[in-house]
Amino acid sequence: MLQILADGLIIGSVVALGAIGLSMTLSIVRFSNFSHGELLGWGAYLAFVAATALTTTRQALAAPIAPFSFGWGLLAGLLLACGLTALLALALDTILFKRLRKAGAITLVIASFGAALALRNLLLFWQGGIPRYYSDNLQIAVAFLPRSVWGGLRVTPDQIFVLALTLLTVTGLHLFLRHSTLGRSMRATALNPGLARVTGIDPERVLRATWLIGGVLAAVAGVFAGLTVQLRPNMGVELLLPLFAAVILGGVGSIWGAVLGGLIVGLAESASVTLVGAEYRSAAAFAVLIAILMVRPKGLFGEQH
Amino acid sequence: MSSPPVLVIESLEAGYEPGLPIVRNACLTVQPGEIFAILGPNGAGKSSLVKAVAGLVPVSSGRVLLNGRDITRTPAHRMVFEGLAFVPQTENVFINLSVAENLELAAAIVKAPRHDSLAPVYAMFPDLLRQRKLPAGQLSGGQRQMLAVARALIARPGLLILDEPSAGLSPLLVGQVFGKLREVRDAGITVLLVEQNVKAALGLADRAAVLVEGKERIVGSSAELLGDARIAALYLGRHAASPVAEGPR
Repeated sequence: MLQILADGLIIGSVVALGAIGLSMTLSIVRFSNFSHGELLGWGAYLAFVAATALTTTRQALAAPIAPFSFGWGLLAGLLLACGLTALLALALDTILFKRLRKAGAITLVIASFGAALALRNLLLFWQGGIPRYYSDNLQIAVAFLPRSVWGGLRVTPDQIFVLALTLLTVTGLHLFLRHSTLGRSMRATALNPGLARVTGIDPERVLRATWLIGGVLAAVAGVFAGLTVQLRPNMGVELLLPLFAAVILGGVGSIWGAVLGGLIVGLAESASVTLVGAEYRSAAAFAVLIAILMVRPKGLFGEQH
Repeated sequence: MSSPPVLVIESLEAGYEPGLPIVRNACLTVQPGEIFAILGPNGAGKSSLVKAVAGLVPVSSGRVLLNGRDITRTPAHRMVFEGLAFVPQTENVFINLSVAENLELAAAIVKAPRHDSLAPVYAMFPDLLRQRKLPAGQLSGGQRQMLAVARALIARPGLLILDEPSAGLSPLLVGQVFGKLREVRDAGITVLLVEQNVKAALGLADRAAVLVEGKERIVGSSAELLGDARIAALYLGRHAASPVAEGPR
């Protein structure tokens, strides 16, 4: 029972971080970006390539930081991947979405499908289809509770790292959106772009910030997915539906909604793997989504009126 | 010598679709320190005219001069830095932000010192100070309108434009909002407003213009317009002596 909860929170952390960026794009740029999942994949692989390059040149960076499976090389790679994925998201907007913005949301959605295909196949061409891992070190899960207590609880240090850094990232983002001028401008633009303009908020600046933040969060989510499972060129598209489920579940535009939505999707997937079989994990997440939408049609944190 | 006008609209054509202007060859002059009302029937292009001035509706021809500077194609988000503040008719506050956050955001955008910009606005709208922690979405219609005006005043504009500030308000609240607009005018800020409520608008404004089919038809002081038989016939329910004349007086 507790193990289902822990596993669900870890899957949910990855989904939540990805869902925040997707939710921000949906509420500020105002279209469903189906290429957002690929940013997670690219973020994960960029961190892998950067970490490999760093650890090849400086062996000391490869040594694991006890008790984790990874060394400083991966943390440096994560930072580089955040910057590069943010730039990739911004480039995608500048080259593709910005030119199509006046054509309407449907055109943008179709363009994002195209962008997703291009990004996924570029990744496959560049890195090949063989799954990769950030570390060859085998991690032993630490027993927090014995089997006699609610079925026991075993968690790896890497999973605790993922949970802690997710909490830190989301809290940082919350404080940024709540207290900084740019964060408040982003909230204002998401709610009412016309009023934001007459208040003096530059819409292009807000859009750029949205892509950059979405890119950073996607890279973190991608690395966490790679750290807790493995890296595959298809990891982005596999995460895309859970990301959308989390956004809709939480309510479009709500950061904490995306987090809660992500955790619920994670818990539903984790419970289904244990209770009804891994093949039903996506179905379980969507069953929960449908059940909640029947009660709250605009999601848990969406405006209900 | 009289002061130069705050706002000059010269032969303005504007609309959302190319070749389909809503505002047609409109000409207006707003003098400093006055309240100027734009009146007219539904669909006359009143809101489109002020939105075109504020940069929210594309202008196809003509010019808009603010204190002598051409602002015709200035983007809407730059207008506040030019000294023009705009209050939309509906959805004119950020309901997901608190009252204080609405005002602080407006101050931060124009990089105004927080205390120096907020203190005079709170002094003019003491209710907002009491409700500063409340989400703007929980304010009543009148309070929202007050917050919308307060938000626009943060940037200390030379010209305040309001699109139907009385819409949806009870007569009592209209009186309160219009009272605040008089205070704004007395503080030296020129006010341009679009209004459906002709009687209340002429009671407030120093001068007014009647817009028909996107073009001004009657321009004069409020006293002149109140005595004008055509206005009486069109809006005040009194007997008409003659139909609305073509072209400005």
